[in-house]
Parts: sequence; structure tokens; C-alpha cells
Amino acid sequence: MATLWRRRERFLGVLGRLCRTVRALSGKNEYDLLVIGGGSGGLACAKEAAQFGRKVAVLDYVEPSPKGTKWGLGGTCVNVGCIPKKLMHQAALLGSALKDAQHYGWNIAQPVHHTWSVMAQAVQNHVKSLNWGHRVQLQDKKVKYFNMKGSFSDPHTIRGLTKAGKETIVTAENIVIATGGRPKYPMHIAGALEYGITSDDLFWLKESPGKTLVVGASYVSLECAGFLTGIGLDTTVMMRSIPLRGFDQQMASLVTEHMECYGTKFLKRCFPTKVEKLEGNRLQVTWKNTDLGTEETDCFDTVMWAVGRAPDVKTLNLDAVGVKTSSETGKIIVDASEATSVPHIYAIGDITEGRPELTPTAIAAGKLLARRLFGQSSELMDYDNVPTTVFTPLEYGCVGLSEEAAVQCYGSDNVEVYHAYYKPLEFTVAERDATQCYIKMVCLREREQRILGLHFIGPNAGEVIQGFALGIKCGATYPQLMKTVGIHPTCAEEITKLHITKRSGLDATVTGC
Amino acid sequence: MGWEEKQVRGYPEFVQTAQRYHGRPIFALFCGDKDAEGKSWCPDCVTAEPVVRKELHNMPDESVFIYCLVGDRAYWKDPNNEFRKNLKLTGVPTLLKYGTPQKLVEEECFKVELVRMLFTED
Repeated sequence: MATLWRRRERFLGVLGRLCRTVRALSGKNEYDLLVIGGGSGGLACAKEAAQFGRKVAVLDYVEPSPKGTKWGLGGTCVNVGCIPKKLMHQAALLGSALKDAQHYGWNIAQPVHHTWSVMAQAVQNHVKSLNWGHRVQLQDKKVKYFNMKGSFSDPHTIRGLTKAGKETIVTAENIVIATGGRPKYPMHIAGALEYGITSDDLFWLKESPGKTLVVGASYVSLECAGFLTGIGLDTTVMMRSIPLRGFDQQMASLVTEHMECYGTKFLKRCFPTKVEKLEGNRLQVTWKNTDLGTEETDCFDTVMWAVGRAPDVKTLNLDAVGVKTSSETGKIIVDASEATSVPHIYAIGDITEGRPELTPTAIAAGKLLARRLFGQSSELMDYDNVPTTVFTPLEYGCVGLSEEAAVQCYGSDNVEVYHAYYKPLEFTVAERDATQCYIKMVCLREREQRILGLHFIGPNAGEVIQGFALGIKCGATYPQLMKTVGIHPTCAEEITKLHITKRSGLDATVTGC
Repeated sequence: MGWEEKQVRGYPEFVQTAQRYHGRPIFALFCGDKDAEGKSWCPDCVTAEPVVRKELHNMPDESVFIYCLVGDRAYWKDPNNEFRKNLKLTGVPTLLKYGTPQKLVEEECFKVELVRMLFTED
């Protein structure tokens, strides 16, 4: 039977090749690589493959959000993620800087006002210029771009559909799926879909969202609630359980504690049960408070769901070609070489099971994949020690293991944690509270005390962590870090001065110069 | 109904023309002034103009193509000239779709595919 099967496979293979030749001869497209999804990972992979002189095409199509928001080429990061988020976070930081400025002698008429439409217009224009930049780059690198929704019709053939319903058949030797994910709406909450928005909409609002309820405790939730508070909006976060799941939980509580001091309201251990529209377009949200067992309500102008993201696989018709997905998450299962269960079909980025949902990892994975496919490389993506930062009002940057993960891996007796509460110099004159400015370094206890994880809460956390990530990637140890000379006066230098262990129970507050 | 071309010189004329055709798709090519023999002081503009002109037929219906001479070299080199300050131009030639972030700068204007994309994409 097996032999028969193989023979059949071979026959089908020959037939397949014949079909493809026929397709090629009949003037249809044929590519060395077809990438479905023009986000960070997909574009990086396509452009890298084109550098090797291969014939490459990218399919990208943005399904409008349930609220009707749509955008251009570039994926989540560019359009509805990192880029608009960081810019709006910056808008909020400037608001804090305006407050600080008075302590530094600037005369600023109070109260200051923020105009959403001005910020949104500027951010949206920048995003549109990035969309155009991606188009120019693809064209320049001779990557064919199709503004079409793709679905498999056989393992080498994708059926592309334009918005107008025009169909194009594209065939390729290798196919990379990089369609990412989209925000989830909660099921079974009346009014959730009708009246709520998600992060897909927030960045494209022309008018201020006003008093906003953000539901969820993901980094998306906290970052959005953070900048909304920062630009002066009445903002509430409703969370059912813990904030920033998967991150170091001590750091996560400091981040939310700071947000509370900064003015974001929190409804902890609460979950919404319905959203209703009142006269005058206000939204009345009802929720259960599980601590008190009570039902509570309040009115908001905007309700934003930040309850997780789901992979965008539905339209791909993966079953037709046998690409396996996780029954739990729906994400595509890949091996270390990003290959799916079908050998010439690959997947990268947010669509893949068990990978970090981060732009730089998707870009790196996409480039490395292209090099392995067309550049005689064998280098695999290394997903260890990937640094990241949560852009809450007080930023949290980290690389490596959380304290919990380190303890779970090595046992608490074998882990040493160095920590410090520090005060950024610029907070002093501005009379800003630095209670949550905290650094924690998780090391192995024995021998060279290799650094397992570094966690930093404070201004510019991303800028601080990026360089240290190199050291940790190279296997840096605690004594090596102690030999590293700090740059004075900075927040980052506090990392080079960490000397109080958690185990000692000594006061970890940094004093003096 | 096709498209029409307007030739202007200097920033005020450009703005006036762009305003007059407000509501229609406006494409603009900014080049350095030409001398008596019709040759621009900007060699890249000399290269770009025929490439762009050959693709004008790809512009959507009702488009207006503004061919704008920005001025002499001394005016253009002034970092505070009105084109740089108000239209955020960084070089000549620049081909742009007015009111959008879509633009091609210098050598990009030599590439037929990019020029065609600018004229045809939303």
C-alpha cells in the first residue's frame, strides 16, 4: 500500500509539474516565492528573496474591521500597532513633559489642552507615507504586489480575489504564509460587536474617543489606556485576572500601580456582561465585580476590546492543502525552519504557533527563511533572549527570563535576583514620583552567575534594554556586568550598579550619587 | 475627458493653481528653472521629465498635471524656501500626488514602474 501510495504521489507530482508547466506556458504567473500577507515578516521575506534574483510576489489584503476601518500595505505594526502606538505614546509623554517643564522654568499657560484630531491626522499621514514607502520598495526590488485576498486551491496555487471580486490565479514553488492576527471580540457579550471598537480602529479615529473603557489586561490594553490617560482622557481598564500575562509579574504589578497613580482607573477582577447604547450615543456598560459579587454599570463614549488577538487563517483554505494548525489557538504549526506540515509551505510571524508576536522577530525570521530558501544559508532563527518593551506611561523593557520562569527552570536555590529602586535624575527637579522605577536582574547563582533575564521599568526602557540584550545574547555574567562602567547620570547606569540581592532582604533603594 | 497640464513657476503660482483645481486629482512635477535653451540647471530634472511625460496618459480621468519650475539654483538651495518649508520637498525633481504622502524624489522619478505606480495607485 505504501509503495502504491508513493507511486501515486510520484504520479501526482509529475502531473503537478505538468500542470504548472502548462500554467506557465499559458501565460499565467509563476513565482519562485509567493508571500501571503504584506506585514513586517512577509515584506522582509519577499524583499530578501528578491535580492537573490528570484521571482517573488506578495499578496496583501486588509479585511476592514467590523467598524469599517481599513488601511494600506505594511501589516499590523505599521498601520494599527507599534508605529501609531509609539507616536500616540509620545503624545502622552509630551503632556508629562509639559508638566515637568514648569519646574524647569518654562512658563506654560494652564490648563493645557490636547486636540485628538491634530495628533490623529499627523499619525495617520505618517502611516500613509509608510504604506507608500513599502509600495515603492517592492516595486524597486521587483517584487510583484497583488492587492488581493489569497486562498489555497492546491499546494502550489493561490487564488487571489480583489475587492471588486476579480480572480487571479498565482502559482509558486514556495509559499510563505504571513497573514498575522487581528484583535478578538468577546463572544457572548451583548452589544460587544455592535458598539465596541478594537485597536484596529482606535488609531484611525478622526475624533477623540472621549471617556474610554479598555477591556483586557494585555500589553495592548495597558499601552492604549496609558496614552489615552496621558492625553487627558478619562480612561478605565477592566481586567478579569492578571495584567501582562507571560511577563514578570512583579514588574507587571509595578506597571499597573504606576498607571493607577498616573490617573488610569482600574476595575480589577471584573468582567463585562453587556454593552447598551443610550440616547446621545453614550455606551452603558454593565459588569460583574467578582470580589463583591455585585453588578455595576457606568457610561462611556468608547468601549475598546483588548482581549487578545486571533490568527487570520479562515480565508486561507488551509485544509485543502493539509497545512496543520493548533486546535487550541488556530495558529499554524511550524518547525525550527518555519516549515509547516507541507514541505514547501512556510509560515512566519504572528500566524505561527508558539512564536513571539513581535515585528523584529517576524522580520528576522522572514529574512533568514529567504536566505535558506535561495541563498544557501542554513541559519535558523534564534527565538531566545528576544528583548521587548511595553510602552506604558512608565515603560517596561525586558530581555530573557522572568523571575518566575527562571525559578521554574532552575529552582529558587539556584537563582540570584539583584534589584534596585532608583530615581531618574530628571524626576527630582520635576518632583515626579519614582516609586515604581525599578530594575531587576535574574542570574544563575552558581559559578559565573550567567544573566538569565533583565527587567527595567523607567523612562526610555526600550533604549536601555536594547544594548544590554546584546550582552545577554552573548552570555554575559553578573561579574562582567559589574566591570562595565556606567554612563553618568543615566538610568541605564543603575543596571551596572546592581548589588542588592533579593535573598538578602536588604533595602533595595538606591541612595546618593 | 482625459487630463490637462498647467505650467507654473514659483510657489505662489503653484498654490494658486492647486487651489483652483481643488477636488480633482492633482499631480505635480517640481523641477529646476530652465535656461534660454530650455535646459534645466538640475541634470536629474532633465533625465526625469521625459520619463514622467511618457507616463502621463496613465493618470486618472480629470487629473491635473502641474509642471512647476521651482526657481533658480540659488533659491532652491535656500533651506527655507517655500517649497521646502511648506510642501516638505527635499529634492528636485519631485513628482507627487498633491494632498497625499505619495511622492517620488530624484532618481525615483527615473523609474518608469514607480512613476506609473504613482499615477495609477489610490
